[in-house]
Amino acid sequence: MLIQILGTGCPKCKQLEANAREAAAKMGVAAEIAKVTDIDEIMNMGVMMTPALVIDGEVRSVGKVLTVDQIAAQLKGVN
Amino acid sequence: MACSCSCGSDAASKLLYACAGAANTGYLADQVARKLNRDGAGDMTCLAAVGADLSGFIESAKSADINIVIDGCPVACGKKIFEAKGLPFTHFITTDFGVEKKKTEITQEIIDRVSADICGRI
Repeated sequence: MLIQILGTGCPKCKQLEANAREAAAKMGVAAEIAKVTDIDEIMNMGVMMTPALVIDGEVRSVGKVLTVDQIAAQLKGVN
Repeated sequence: MACSCSCGSDAASKLLYACAGAANTGYLADQVARKLNRDGAGDMTCLAAVGADLSGFIESAKSADINIVIDGCPVACGKKIFEAKGLPFTHFITTDFGVEKKKTEITQEIIDRVSADICGRI
């Protein structure tokens, strides 16, 4: 599974990344977590506000810092 | 189109969508959205991508404070797309601003006037 964190590197993006790592560990999911900081790449995904969370190419949230539990619920839906 | 990255910001996000249909009124909708985007009234993004169910565009629309949909005529394709997706939006139709479909020549004065009118309401 590929989890991408979209954002230019601000505290909200870092918090979302930390939450995603914790959620993946909590769910026992083997996930590669990658950051996407290039604004053109972010916009090519249609994301107009950051941070954003992408799971296996599907944008799951935009402009929000999802909690660990919210991300875990998203991961559960994928598995 | 510009990304209104919300990192560290509480600024309201206003997203602009234009039907960009083939008629003069669709052209006007597109030009008005582009002018509002240039003037900083909102960020223009792609209506077609919402219609195509692309996840980034759908989630951006869900997260925006306001989605401003500008249709050219009462066929209202933009409105119908947003309704079909269950997304919230504020709606404008260029023919409500004294423009006639397939008749009125779209001038810069009309673009400026309709843009200013919509800008004052969003």
